[in-house]
Amino acid sequence: MDNISDIVASPGTGRVLVLLLVLLPLLAAAILPLFGRSARRAALLVALLHVGLTAAVVALGTLYLTEEGTPGTRTRTGTAKFSPTFVPGDSGGTQTSDGRTRWTLMSLSAIQPSGGRAGPNVQFFLGLDGLNLWLVALASLMTVPAILVSWESVKERPGAFFGWLFLLQGAAIGAFLSFDIILFYAFFELTLIPAFFLIGRWGLGSGRRDAARKFFLYTLAGSLLTLVGVIGVVLTNPDPITGLITFSLPDLMGNVQSNLDDAHRLALAGDSTKLDSLQNTQFWLFMALMAGFMVKVPVWPFHTWLPSAYGESPTGVTMMLSAVLAKLGTFGILRFVLPLTPDAAIVYGLPVIGMLAAFGIVYAAFCAYNQKDIKLVIAYSSVSHLGFLVLALFAFNTEGLSGAVLHMVNHGLSTGALFALLAFLLDRYRTTQVHQFGGLMGRFPNYAVLTFVLCLASIGLPGLNNFVSEMLMLAGLFRANNPGVKGLGFAIVAAFGILLSAWYILTMLQKVFFNPLKEPEPVVAGIAPPDVSRRECFAFGSLAGLCLLLGLFPQPVLDSIRSDVRLLTNVGESARARVNRVALPLPNSPDPALTEPAPPAPKGPGVVPKGGKGGNIKGKGQPGNKAKALNED
Amino acid sequence: MNPLSNELLQQTLKGVFRLAIPEITLIGTACLLILLGSLYNRRWFGFVVAMLGVIAAAVLAGTISTPTPPVLTAAPLVPDAAAAFVRWVSLISVFVLLFVAWGEVNRTNAAEYYGCLLIVAAGVSLVGRANDLVTLFLALELISIPTYVLLYLPVRTRSNQEAAAKYFLLSVMTSALMLFGFSYLYGLTGTTNITAIVDTVTNANAESLSPMSLVAIVLIIAAIGFRITAVPFHFYAPDVYEGGPAGVIAQLAVLPKVAGFAALARLLGLVGGDPTRIPFDTGSQVPLLLWILAILTMTVGNVLALLQDNIRRMLAYSSVAHAGYMLMGIVVACSIPDARSTLKAGSLIGPSVGGIDALFVYLVAYALMTIGAFAVILYLSTPEQPVSAIDDLAGVGQSHPVSGAAMAICLFSLIGLPLTAGFIGKLLLFIGAFTAPSDTATMRNLYQVLVVVAAVNAAIGAYYYLRVLGVMYLRTPLRPLTGSRSVPTLLATIALAGATLFFGVYPRPLVDAARKAAPVPELPAAAAAAIPAK
Repeated sequence: MDNISDIVASPGTGRVLVLLLVLLPLLAAAILPLFGRSARRAALLVALLHVGLTAAVVALGTLYLTEEGTPGTRTRTGTAKFSPTFVPGDSGGTQTSDGRTRWTLMSLSAIQPSGGRAGPNVQFFLGLDGLNLWLVALASLMTVPAILVSWESVKERPGAFFGWLFLLQGAAIGAFLSFDIILFYAFFELTLIPAFFLIGRWGLGSGRRDAARKFFLYTLAGSLLTLVGVIGVVLTNPDPITGLITFSLPDLMGNVQSNLDDAHRLALAGDSTKLDSLQNTQFWLFMALMAGFMVKVPVWPFHTWLPSAYGESPTGVTMMLSAVLAKLGTFGILRFVLPLTPDAAIVYGLPVIGMLAAFGIVYAAFCAYNQKDIKLVIAYSSVSHLGFLVLALFAFNTEGLSGAVLHMVNHGLSTGALFALLAFLLDRYRTTQVHQFGGLMGRFPNYAVLTFVLCLASIGLPGLNNFVSEMLMLAGLFRANNPGVKGLGFAIVAAFGILLSAWYILTMLQKVFFNPLKEPEPVVAGIAPPDVSRRECFAFGSLAGLCLLLGLFPQPVLDSIRSDVRLLTNVGESARARVNRVALPLPNSPDPALTEPAPPAPKGPGVVPKGGKGGNIKGKGQPGNKAKALNED
Repeated sequence: MNPLSNELLQQTLKGVFRLAIPEITLIGTACLLILLGSLYNRRWFGFVVAMLGVIAAAVLAGTISTPTPPVLTAAPLVPDAAAAFVRWVSLISVFVLLFVAWGEVNRTNAAEYYGCLLIVAAGVSLVGRANDLVTLFLALELISIPTYVLLYLPVRTRSNQEAAAKYFLLSVMTSALMLFGFSYLYGLTGTTNITAIVDTVTNANAESLSPMSLVAIVLIIAAIGFRITAVPFHFYAPDVYEGGPAGVIAQLAVLPKVAGFAALARLLGLVGGDPTRIPFDTGSQVPLLLWILAILTMTVGNVLALLQDNIRRMLAYSSVAHAGYMLMGIVVACSIPDARSTLKAGSLIGPSVGGIDALFVYLVAYALMTIGAFAVILYLSTPEQPVSAIDDLAGVGQSHPVSGAAMAICLFSLIGLPLTAGFIGKLLLFIGAFTAPSDTATMRNLYQVLVVVAAVNAAIGAYYYLRVLGVMYLRTPLRPLTGSRSVPTLLATIALAGATLFFGVYPRPLVDAARKAAPVPELPAAAAAAIPAK
């Protein structure tokens, strides 16, 4: 590297960029309402600027995350911790970093620990690592099409609309980037306010006010219990040496593990009372933490807010809700539930939450098939897919977690894109009822092609993005060796869910695009509505292109998340060992994948395509490659 | 030797007036104002004189050094950190309330209105530093009596009258109740000095629980429960809040609560002394009583608020619910002796939140958001078109964007959403309750249960606040509100909403101030220094 690129690629630049990623949308949210008619242009400009910033962060981030590759390594004491880079307010210099911040918002003790540890302070602790990098990119990217599809349809006070939209984006990005548990919670809850106003004021149907209120109250009720869980985790896991509590996620994660490991050592020596009581506490904390995330994802039976919220929202908002906000729930599980209550996640994750999720996959698929509104078909399909994602998270192994992280991005892209496509119909006909349409293939050939690509991506056609992540997740479920999980039940349900998704999406496509031509009264009576405009073409086309790109080249994403996934896998393994009351398998091994029982690599890919979508012959080669690529590293 | 000729004792008694100079200034200004009011009663005049009085009191409070009296067991007033905190809260509240009241003061009542407001503030401030049962009682009456006047001043309708009469009668009754309790305390200990009483009762109860002291404290809790609108002493609140003038209600919803909690904390020995030596620890069942009171108060308040269509009644029940949250702080503070005893057994650091500090933070947050909400109601009401039903606020978000936004911020803070002061208050209370030891015989894991109940209650509360928000922002106005032209009221709402946001985003100054006022017992410095070495 030469000098210039050294300066550009220094952590100092990264810190400023990370801070800007959060501040720019918040600033835009404050300023945009002042714009009148020109608000949408300004909004688009800000969104594009944000995408540019994100691109810079992604470029820098992938450089650091894959080059150093250190975050996942175990420290001497055997605790695995997230180690964010690009932390604004880093106490290190511009060239060195220690992944901690000095920006304290609230202090709960006069005693401050030495060595730069966070101590009992709530801090403005943002940072980047492999797990949040791509989700931030997703949140940044999805705003552009969300603005484009709202271009014509939002006529009432566009400045305020786009302002709220940016607040939503800023809050979501803030939540993804947070490494302080209270800060995360603050951003997590902040998303409710813009969503409430966006749904309630700019919603489409007459039920928008109830939908907004229902969404707000459901999510709030769940997340208040999550707050109780968060406080519980913080207070039950003080630093084992100093006894100080901490709100910093990396330190907290370390505390959780060293407390558990100490108890585990005692348990192996014959005294398991301490471990029992710790695991018992974890159960309650796990349930409290999950309450909010299960509502946010949503996992059946906590999904009842979703159809009305998605159905009544303006299209741009539905996109953000499904693409970004739903990911906050799964991201919360990944970032907080798995590392902070690992034993409970192993014991109760698949058997309890997994049962609900698995039932939800099938239930939501049948609901989707039965919907009369295309919007609700996609809404339920989203519930179904996210159930699969939750299953994969709780499989808590390398494949499951990599697949889940990747699928968060992929699902966001493809579901968001599907909702975006509906804006086309809404702008022209003001309706998305399935029975009012037919034979649109001949009417709008370009639109039809884009829709097919994105629908196939959503189903998981090889070569498109969802395929890769779904295969990885399935592989993770096939290998799930959590205690209490017998056989391949979950994997089979998940695979069946993919099959069902092909069934209802293709049925919907057939009704809308292939039957004899049938269209409702257009908005402008008498004039035949045109095919995709340049603006729409850019919005849908870019998303379709990204789906294709991620389907063909998922490796850069997988590379940058690898070390963090390995770290979480380590946490999961120790938890399994604790739950089974056996010694930990060789903690100093360089790669956990090698020390695990031989991965059923031939079984995974062999079974998957069959269950996945009967008749995808082309897919046969790829899953093996992907799975192998992942196992080889 | 004659005990009265003791030099330290004389010094203590002589220094008393020095400790109350700002309060004396406030009351002096009020007297002057009411006198002058009979000659020249104008709104601007009353406002300016009252404002000058508040500023003078604040300057004096900030400049006069107040040494701790040498004999605490004889001092009627103590200038400790908690007293200073309460004094600043009351001074700043009355400063804001002067602006808020502009909208409902007129030339017939300006002097009396502003004068009474200053006396109430002086009373609250004195409650914070009262260290004697007699001083405490007088200070509490200094709050009640001007409030009767304030409620009667604008009496126009039957509901005004009902509100004033109801408040008067119940307040007098609770004063009697409180005196009854005080008489027991005096009979038991032979002194009216609170430091001495707390000390004596603590020592006595450490040996065996005195039933008479329990009777006394239960009577006192009941009497204070009236001021903080704890269930079942809350019955006056909805009627009074509905019938009284909005500016007075803003005061009534906040200042008596500040005073009530300060008095309760002082009488239970939670501030002003060693918080690990309190007369009624968990062994005495008094914390359990407060626990029940807290849960009843928050639950009944929230559930009844759900049923209200009148915004003032809704806010009345909401203030009941918030009193329940704040009682959590008292409950938690009562557990500190237990926390210290478990501390010796194992862990090295004491609790991170002591209860009273969380209570103080919550009181400030509550004052900001409640005065803010009532100020908006006052601003939007006109005599021809008062804001009473929630539906009257329809479309305010569009017709009055600034006051609408201020109301929205206050409501979000009442819900307890992050980035508002209300969230910080709830967070600290929750942390406090979770820190409390769960291994004592009487309380076991009841503190954790309390947190869960409070979280569920916060979710219930969100429903009715959100209803107001929905009406304000998602509906079009039925009959547009014209709104008064009271610019000072609007300024006050903006300042209150701004402060709510500021303390929500950067709570450090507030939290540090509260922790200074009610220090959490931590390890001695020597032990703390030894930690890193270990």
